[in-house]
Amino acid sequence: MNCFMFPGQPLARCASLPDDADFAQIAQLVQKLARFDLQNLAWLSAEEGTGEGNGEGTEEGTEEGTEEGTEEGTEEGTEEGTENLGLQLYGVALSLYRLRRLRLDGVQPDLVAEHSMGIYPALVACGSLSEPDAIEITWRIGAALARMAKTQQYALGCVLGLRAEQVQIIADHNRLHVANHNTSRHFLLSGTSADMAAAVLEAVDAGAFTARFFHYDAPLHTPPIERLEGEIVGILADYRFAEPLCPLINHLDQGSLRAREIPKFLLRELSRPVYWEKTYRALRAAGADRFFEVGAGDALKKYNRWIEGEIEK
Amino acid sequence: MTDELIAEVKRLIIESLRIEGMSSDEIETDAPLFGEGLGLDSIDALQLVVGMENAFGVVVPDAAVGAKVFRSVRTMADYIAQHAA
Repeated sequence: MNCFMFPGQPLARCASLPDDADFAQIAQLVQKLARFDLQNLAWLSAEEGTGEGNGEGTEEGTEEGTEEGTEEGTEEGTEEGTENLGLQLYGVALSLYRLRRLRLDGVQPDLVAEHSMGIYPALVACGSLSEPDAIEITWRIGAALARMAKTQQYALGCVLGLRAEQVQIIADHNRLHVANHNTSRHFLLSGTSADMAAAVLEAVDAGAFTARFFHYDAPLHTPPIERLEGEIVGILADYRFAEPLCPLINHLDQGSLRAREIPKFLLRELSRPVYWEKTYRALRAAGADRFFEVGAGDALKKYNRWIEGEIEK
Repeated sequence: MTDELIAEVKRLIIESLRIEGMSSDEIETDAPLFGEGLGLDSIDALQLVVGMENAFGVVVPDAAVGAKVFRSVRTMADYIAQHAA
């Protein structure tokens, strides 16, 4: 049984981008809808970003995207576009590209799973959302998150090697949240930069194999994101989500999302942790035995490898 | 350090990281494991730490030590030879 897994935001861009018509189309969509140049990882001015997209989605969706992009792009996409938001768009673009390639190769998913921001291209894989809408939602929600950085500096912290209980104690000591439970020994903390710096030192002292942090636009996957509820609900109200054509297993409770549940999930997932190990185990229990990581990098496969090793024990 | 230990380390890498389609012979003894070499990352490093501990009873305590140990197959074998009980 095939499972397509959609990873979250990559931390960096690969050395080279795909060089073919499919990726060019997706890059054009990103440029048109988000005013972001994937080749150079650079935000464009309003004039530069008006190149014609090659949208696959409905005419209505593309029109809405253009209007939103024009109105908000100047404010968010060009003047306030952040490195993180650019990487989110890059990650979604690569996922959409790899999804196209898999489809061209005749590979179809029996199940779809997602990790964090991977939900947007995952919705495309299920037929719930068009490519243009997935790109536009990524940009609009990412821009809303990025505005949180105006008043506070935030960070994410990778902690490898400690157990969940140890990581939770460190999070509690430092007013942070555990944002990703990826395996029994791979975690992501989220919170303010100042608190994160102290937590990383504490994690190293506690015996973490590695602990490092990087600045982020918002306290992703933590309750303080609930401040944005009104804005996010308003964004999501602009989109229609079709019934998934195959089961879409969510990373919160490992249930299969129905169309009517998707907007609520998209809001909730921003303020709740990602439970990848539980998700992988649920996918295995559901019968998935061929896993395709549809996006940048191979972190999910590596987490799965770790979990498999523990299952085999 | 023996050729046998070098071969064991290569097998450990392939098995721990579940590298498909690659034989031990294809891993160069002195090539970097991270970056331009096998392209390993910190997730792989932790996997190798556990693999080394299970196979040889050797502990790599942290990433700073790991950065030296996991430079190449040869440095891994050197570390095992020095620290195995």
